[in-house]
Amino acid sequence: MPKSVIPFGPQHPVLPEPLQLKLVLQDEKVVEAIPAIGYVHRGLEKLTETKDIQQNIFVVERICGICSFMHALAYCQGIEELMNVQVPDRARYLRVVWGELHRTHSHLLWLGLLADAFGFESLFMQAWRCRERVMDLMEMTAGSRVIISTNTIGGTRRDIDRETLGHIISEVDIIQAELKEFEQVFMYDYTVQHRLRGVGVLTKEDAYKLGAVGPVGRASGLAQDMRSSLRYAAYNELDIEPIVETEGDSYARTMVRIRELHQSADLLHQVYDKIPDGEIAVPVKGFPTGEVISRVEQPRGEVLYYLKANGTKNLERVRVRTPTFANIPPLMHMLPGSLLSDVPVLILCIDPCISCTER
Amino acid sequence: MLENISDITTDQLISVTQQADLDGYRFVTTSCVDNNNGTLDLIYHYDLDGVLKQFRLQVTHETEVPSISRIFYAALLVENEIKELFNVNIIGIVIDYGGHLLLSKGAPESPMAYPNQITIERR
Repeated sequence: MPKSVIPFGPQHPVLPEPLQLKLVLQDEKVVEAIPAIGYVHRGLEKLTETKDIQQNIFVVERICGICSFMHALAYCQGIEELMNVQVPDRARYLRVVWGELHRTHSHLLWLGLLADAFGFESLFMQAWRCRERVMDLMEMTAGSRVIISTNTIGGTRRDIDRETLGHIISEVDIIQAELKEFEQVFMYDYTVQHRLRGVGVLTKEDAYKLGAVGPVGRASGLAQDMRSSLRYAAYNELDIEPIVETEGDSYARTMVRIRELHQSADLLHQVYDKIPDGEIAVPVKGFPTGEVISRVEQPRGEVLYYLKANGTKNLERVRVRTPTFANIPPLMHMLPGSLLSDVPVLILCIDPCISCTER
Repeated sequence: MLENISDITTDQLISVTQQADLDGYRFVTTSCVDNNNGTLDLIYHYDLDGVLKQFRLQVTHETEVPSISRIFYAALLVENEIKELFNVNIIGIVIDYGGHLLLSKGAPESPMAYPNQITIERR
């Protein structure tokens, strides 16, 4: 049977960011997929060499809007390790608060995009309406909705008072209640199941071998979550276990994210009960020396920062490996054998962030 | 600080990579650092149960570095990136983008490598 090549993207209704896949098709079935990126490469790793260690916080936050806080967290934790800085306990808990708020808004955004990808527009609107509550919380606590810039080397720039924390908890409870209503559609609706179940199956062995991270890996049975394995920030004092599904299909990836939304709400409740009083940052003097690896769990999975410092105000190297970069090889493995009509859902299932990937 | 790191040579790269695969390590990524003295460090990061293990390979722009993408398919993108941005001569990548993974035609060549590094304007 003759083969045809279809360029999927870089501009496509289902793609929030520019990514092209050269799809080799036999009839309606994908037999090979080659990704082409490079549409939004900004050279941010290069830019970090000309900025000082404090200015770099603002640079790395702009690698991605959705997980800006986690980029700054990974960077700050790396510098703190190099300089042997002990972050105050309250700041460690505050980092969990903003980190989980970011995870919540990212997963809700993704649920909406997924619904939109298979044409369920009312579900898309329900998810994004729910997400607005998180964005408002971010604005209330940080003054901005997306790039919140609350991390600094040595702690956090802002505090959250007890009353505001209580408001966050009450909003999180409302979000959970709303989620419980519309998650039923994701879980039980016939059409949704038809589009997700058995689509893009990735076995546990393949997921591990191909380096899958985050919800993509956990949906295939990999109990791999940096929050529970590295116990950074205040996660060492919180009760957390990786959310794992075993089917490895698009439905399992959706279930992992829905369950992680409930897990984030639980973590915020734990923080409310346990957060201590005290300072939110310690003064940091001097410049770092040496090399370090810093890893945190973003909504899309593990992000790795390699930092090399030479005792001056500038770093020699800031290397960032983002989760989408790690999840592209698994996507290339998932696509062959699937139908052309399933390609949008499969691409969305890795929650691609191309601005992260290309930096 | 970097822990569990050992220096290797180009000849050892494939054998230590195969051993990491046999030992059940997950390939995380490779980092490249231009030392500004004609050498570059390639640091291969592997993970097993949350613990990292690393190999440092020092090369020059002329050194032929074998690709590990036939052992760890996940390495194909980062090897293309390093080849393109740092002008490291990585050979045998399973899909070779020919210098156009991130950079388009007409873009500065190997912008992260000395002495050809692009200069970002300072105020």
